[in-house]
This record gives sequence, C-alpha cells and structure tokens, in this order.
Amino acid sequence: MQSIPSPSASTLTRLADALRRAIGAENVLTARSDLMVYECDGFVIEKNSPDVVVFPRSTADVVKIVKLCNEMQVPFVPRGAGTSLAGGCLPIGGGVMIVLMRLNRIVEINYRDRYAVVEPGVVNVHLTNALKGSGYHYAPDPSSQGACTIGGNVATNSGGPHTLKYGVTVNHVLGVEMVMADGAVVQLGGPAEDPLGLDLVGAFVGSEGTLGVVTKVWVRLTRNPQGWRTMLAIFESCDDATQAISEIIGAGIVPAALEMMDQGILVAIEAAFSFGFPLDAQAILLIEVDGLDAGLDQQRDQIVELCKKSKAREVRLAKDEKERLKLWKCRKQAFGAIGRLSPSYCTQDGVVPRTQLPLIQRKITEISAKYDIKIVNVFHAGDGNIHPILLFDERDAAQVERVLHASNEILEACLDCGGSVTGEHGIGVEKIHFMQKMFSPDDLVAMDNLRQAFNPVGNLSPMKMLPTAGGCGMEQKHPGRRAAL
Amino acid sequence: MGSPATSPTSSTDVVAAVQRARASKTPLQPVGGGTSLHFGLQSAATVEQLSLAQLNRVVDYPARDMTITVEAGITMAQLAETLVKEHQRLPVDVPQADRATIGGVIATNWNGHRRYGQGSLRDFVIGIEAVDGNGLLFHGGGRVVKNVAGYDFCKLLCGSFGTLGIITQVTLKVRPLPERSAWLACSVNDAKKAETMLAALQQSAVTPAAVELVSGSVWQKEAALAETNLTKDNFGLLVLLEGTTTEVLWMKDHLRREWREAGIVNPLMQDGCAEPWPAVQEFSAHIDSPLTVQASVTPSGVLPFVAACRKRDPDCSVLAHAGNGAVFVRFAKFPDKGLSELMMGDLQPAAAAHHGHVVILNAPPGAAITHRSVWGGEAPLAVMTAVKKKFDPLDLLNRGRFVYI
Repeated sequence: MQSIPSPSASTLTRLADALRRAIGAENVLTARSDLMVYECDGFVIEKNSPDVVVFPRSTADVVKIVKLCNEMQVPFVPRGAGTSLAGGCLPIGGGVMIVLMRLNRIVEINYRDRYAVVEPGVVNVHLTNALKGSGYHYAPDPSSQGACTIGGNVATNSGGPHTLKYGVTVNHVLGVEMVMADGAVVQLGGPAEDPLGLDLVGAFVGSEGTLGVVTKVWVRLTRNPQGWRTMLAIFESCDDATQAISEIIGAGIVPAALEMMDQGILVAIEAAFSFGFPLDAQAILLIEVDGLDAGLDQQRDQIVELCKKSKAREVRLAKDEKERLKLWKCRKQAFGAIGRLSPSYCTQDGVVPRTQLPLIQRKITEISAKYDIKIVNVFHAGDGNIHPILLFDERDAAQVERVLHASNEILEACLDCGGSVTGEHGIGVEKIHFMQKMFSPDDLVAMDNLRQAFNPVGNLSPMKMLPTAGGCGMEQKHPGRRAAL
Repeated sequence: MGSPATSPTSSTDVVAAVQRARASKTPLQPVGGGTSLHFGLQSAATVEQLSLAQLNRVVDYPARDMTITVEAGITMAQLAETLVKEHQRLPVDVPQADRATIGGVIATNWNGHRRYGQGSLRDFVIGIEAVDGNGLLFHGGGRVVKNVAGYDFCKLLCGSFGTLGIITQVTLKVRPLPERSAWLACSVNDAKKAETMLAALQQSAVTPAAVELVSGSVWQKEAALAETNLTKDNFGLLVLLEGTTTEVLWMKDHLRREWREAGIVNPLMQDGCAEPWPAVQEFSAHIDSPLTVQASVTPSGVLPFVAACRKRDPDCSVLAHAGNGAVFVRFAKFPDKGLSELMMGDLQPAAAAHHGHVVILNAPPGAAITHRSVWGGEAPLAVMTAVKKKFDPLDLLNRGRFVYI
C-alpha cells in the first residue's frame, strides 16, 4: 500500500474553491470549528481533522469530488453517521471527507421482488419504519440502528443481535452503485440474484470504505416472522450459561437471538433500571426464537428444558409483547448502565467458536485478575461474538496501559481459540496491528492486490485496514471509550 | 481437452503446480468432479488439467460449532454423508452430487432449490484457502460464523470459476437437519395464474424451503408428477416445506387452504421426504439436451423469461427456482440461426428486461460460440479484469473460460 503525501495549504485552498464551484458552497465546510466535528468516529482515541468536509447530494456530486481530489492528489475518505467503532472514518493525513448523509432517499421499495433501493445516507431504522405494516423488514439491525446509515452498514458489514439467524449485512445486499477511486461510476449487482461474473458485491461489503464510495444500495427484504417467544434464563455460573448455549445450538435450534450478560453488567443494569434481576446470579441468557406460531411453543419448551439441564436457576418467559420489549430493553440499555461502574470503559469485539465460549470466559477472568482491571461481559453468545467491557479510569495512566495490554491479550486469546479479532466492527485503524497476527504475509499481499485493483493510486481511505509494508500501523496509546453495541 | 491431469495431495503441491505453470507459461484448468467443464467457454487445447480429487479430506468437524473444514476435492455426497451422522447438512442441492466437489460447486457458485428458504451457497462459505496465479497460497475468513476481518475472499472466490485462485480448502457453516419435510405440487393453467400464485406465496404465512416452477415435455414424462395433470402448455408449481413436524403439518394445511381458495382442489402431496423428484435436482445436468441455459432474473421476471424461451422453442423444458429468479431451460432443438443470434437477439434482452442475464450451461461440441453469447450480460467487466490481472497476471488459471475482456 502506498502512502499519500500531505497536500499543501495552497492545494487545499484551490481544492476547496473548486469543490464550492462544483457542488455548491453550502455543501462544503472548511472552518476549523466545523471540521472538528469530523475528527473521529465512535473510535475516539485517534483524532485528526479533515481539511475539507463535503456533502454530496447526488452520485454526480460524488464523481466531481473524487475527480477533483485526484486532479490535486488529495486523499479522500467516505463517512456516514460516524457510528463505526474502529476508526474506519478517521481522515489519516487529512484531506477531503465525503459525508454521505444528504444522500438519504429511499428510492424504491419492491415487495414482489423483495428488494429496496436506498441511498447510502438512509438511517437503518428509517428503512425499518418505511416498511412497517408491509409484512417485510430489512433484517440487519445493529444496536446503533437509530443513528447508523445503510451505507455505513455496507462498509463495515454490520451485524446486530439477530445475526445468529438472519446473517450480517452482506447476506442482505443485492447490489451497490459506487464511485470508484478514479471517479468512474460502477454498478455491482442489482435487483436480481447471482449477477454476472465475479461477486464484487460480496467483496465490496465490509471493505471499510477502501474500494469505492457507495452511492446506492439494493437491499433484500425479509418476511416478518409470524411470532416470537422470548425468555430469560438465570444461571449460577458463567460455565453453566455457556453450556446451555452449546446445548441449545447442539440440539439443532437456531434462535433468532441468544445474548449473554454476566453478573458484573447485571448489577449495573439493576442499579440503573430495577428490572428485578437476582444480583447473586452469575450470568443470564436472553433467548428469542421466531418463526411460525405453530412451532414456537415447542421450541420454547425445548429451550427451557435444555437450560434447566444446564442448571438454570430459573427461566422467565415474556408473556406478551410488553414483557418482551422489557427484556430487550435490559439488553439494549446495558451499555447505558456502565457509567455507574466506572468513569471510562473499553469494549472489545472478539469472536470464538461457540464451543470455546467457556474457555474464553475463563481466560477473560484470568486476564482481569492479571492486570487488575475489572471486566464485565455482554456477548452475542449464539454466534461466538464476545464483547468484554474493560472498566478503568482514563485519568490514571497506569490503568490505561494495563487496559491496552489486557485488550490485546483477550484478542490474542480469541485467535488462539480459532477465532477472529473482530466480529462486527471491523479493522479500521484500531486493529490494524492484529492483521499480521490473524493473516499470513501472503494473505495480506492478496488483500492488497484486491485493493489495488479498485484503488491503484491509494488516494481513497489510505492507511486503513491493511498494515503498511514497513510497520504495524499506528501505535495505540489509549483504549477507547465506546458507544452502545 | 488438455493433457493428462496432475493430482496434488496437498495445498503445497498446488503451489508447486502453479509455479511450474508459471515457469512454462502453460495455463492450468482446475478440475473437481468434472461436472461443470461444459459450463461457459471451453478451455484452450494446451491447458494442463489439475485434478483436486485427491484433496478430499475432512480437516476438522466441530459439529457443535456447526462448522466443518474440508479440502476442496471432497464430493458433495461425501460431505453430506459426514454431516448426516451429526444430524446436520449443507442445504445446497447440486446435480451429480456423487461427483461434484465442494470446490467446484463454490467455483461455479452452484445453488439448488433450497436457496429460497436456506440462503445461497455464498452465505455458507466462512473460510477459504486458495492458490492464486502468482503461486501465492492465501486465506480469507476463518472458522467462526461471524467475522469481518479483512476482505471477504470467500465471496470473491465464490463463482470466480477458479480464475483468481485454485480453491484448496474451505470452512462451511452448516445447519441442523429438519425434523420433517413435505412437497406440495399442483398444475396451473397459464402464466398469468402461475404469476398470481407465485406472488401469493410471497405474502403467505407459509415459509417454504423451495418454490419451483416447472414446465415442458421433460416434466410431463415425470411419473411422480403425473397426478398433477401437467400438460404441454401449463405449469407445475412445487413447494417444499421443512421444519418441525408441527410446523410442516401447519404449513401443509394452510397452503392447501390457500390453494383451494385459488381453485386448486387436490394438490399432490409427498410427505416425509425432501427429495421426491430427482428430476428437480438433476435437471440442469442433462448434457444430452442440445442446449441448456441458465438465467438469473428478478422473481417477477421468471414467467416473462420463460415465455421468451417458449416463443423460440415451444418444446423447451423449464425448471425455475422461482422464488429466487434462477431459471434453467433445456431446449428441445438447437437454434436454427445459431447460438449468438438466440442469445444476443432474444434471450439476453429478455433477461435484461428483468435486471438479469443468461449464461450457456451446455452446448454441443463444436457449436459456434462466442464470448459475448456466453457471457453477454451487463457487468462491470473492466473492474473484474483489473482484479483478475492482480491475482493472475499471466492469465494461467482457467484461461479464456470466464467473463474477462
């Protein structure tokens, strides 16, 4: 990967003027105070202001912006709502930030062919709202769906609590229109499945803004399930809870969601919201099955039995929609409660094979003791995606250092278990130093080859996702304080 | 066809084979079970075949994680046999499963009827290992079901025809076997009614695993479908229901009620078996047809595309995974005016009108066939070619068979 020289002040002034002429002065920001808003995304450790922020309103605007950046050899980086958590939107070396929030129309909804066409700045939940009452929904539901955009979901291949049954974003994207790094407009895929030739849609989704700037997305619509059964199982030990997860999946049941929370986080939730959780329980599982009403009671009964077999102290069933939403509220507001536990926190995003959950859970406990850092846990346990939350005080430099070491050790333990260092938030700049641990040098060459085929000059989103030839990316000096997952 | 196959037994052997090919500048054709060698354009005569048949081991099967890692040359039948022991399956149905290999199925992105309810093949590949045209052994993904680290080579290689890398090993997500399955089938008098019923199925509370539309002489001869009164001109609608016994019984009753309201009084029913009609699975593999094509269109484009095919050949036979818009057509006779005229003059525009394209699956040896007539649909070929040049700069892997310009 090539590094991009920093543009001179005069080049940036000429570029800003040209951008104002091309897409309208009201769509270009250059004032220092305005730019500071865009100096980072949800990964707040590393910050750098872009030199210019632009708000295209059409694909043609994006083309003009990209061509002008190329002419003046200024790097550019796309951004949606900025909710990503690994620094994928960080404008390393400055340059132009292309904010896609004003490309926010739902262009078409086609129920017969089960797709919708949206612009990248459409907020995830706005599509959900537009589909209400139709019997269809857009399945990927990241917890930030009230703010995050579909374009950002495509860039990071977002997941969500319902990933276990319904899959991540790439399973629901049929096509994208994008502006290539040289300004060419290309459509990959479209309304029909199996587009001709290479699956470039599959390669593009999750490419973290390094292969092109997305300007339109064809998403698949999914029929709503007829019903749900939601339950909460309470366990005396984390081992018992993880055993129950293994039993449920092993019995051939694929729940719509299977979330685990440990005692540390339960105490905080209870203090904040008084849901009535027993504070001496070591772990709870939030389990939801959905589908045909006819089969749900049977699945629910089977799950209750399997939980009891794994020594669940109690399994509470949501009797109606109100109780179901209450159970989900306790999961979704878990992160809001963390403020009661410590001034700062850092959440990790590792993945292990499901059967390794007990092992990684024990490992996290050991790491917590070794570094004297309290760690509480919220897991998307059904798919092995763990989110240990490291609690600390950022005013204490020694604690900060211990948190960094502990985080690294947790992720390395995930790799030792045959897992991954990111399940849903991506590499960005945050985990770039892990790429060489997870992939061989040849794997990284192959990845760089793919990037160069799309982005040969390297002007688009430089220094992201792949480590540079000479080093391991930036040195991390501070753990993150994270938003809700 | 090329020279006799070499048959590596490890990915290191595959690397060595590619390096030899680089030195001698001899193109390589990776071959699994040899079931798709007629798909697309034909390889040049100087190609050396590289058989993956001996790379056929199960590397790891942590059944409780519901993943399996296998070498590329394992056949679909062997894979199914391994999985069924743990009451699991890869719900991807392919013809000639006793020969077709998982590597070949991934390379050609083959999807069967169950994709409607279970998802397509690309959704099940979570890890991949391959050797590119530079002789580089590279990996993508991993062994966990949720993973967004790095570029998704699993998707990129799925359907790449082995032109970016020779697939040597894959990790797959698998599913539990359903407790019960049943097929419901009926005949529908005309295309308008068929479209109404297909659209209704999408609104139904019933959640089929497969929605198949069949038509033509091949199906009239199918004994298992005789009771549906299929004629030369009407359509058969086949719906596969899977799930727990309770679910399947409920869906059966519900669907019969819906169909009764639509005027279908006695649908044919086969209960307790997922594969009642081998013809559904094997339809596209009959290389004795003078011409077989596959179209991908939007679901609402299936019947218009079938109409376009029937206009050219009233005796053609059709199988459509109608819920997904995948249509297979076996022509009864070779087109009088040649392939290019049929494909470019008629079928490609008919598919393009519904956002799709057509590919030739099988044509008689020696038929005048061009790149445009096989791979003539709209696609960003320049980007694909740029990717190909990075992964295989000497154009050694499956030279000339795929879409590149």
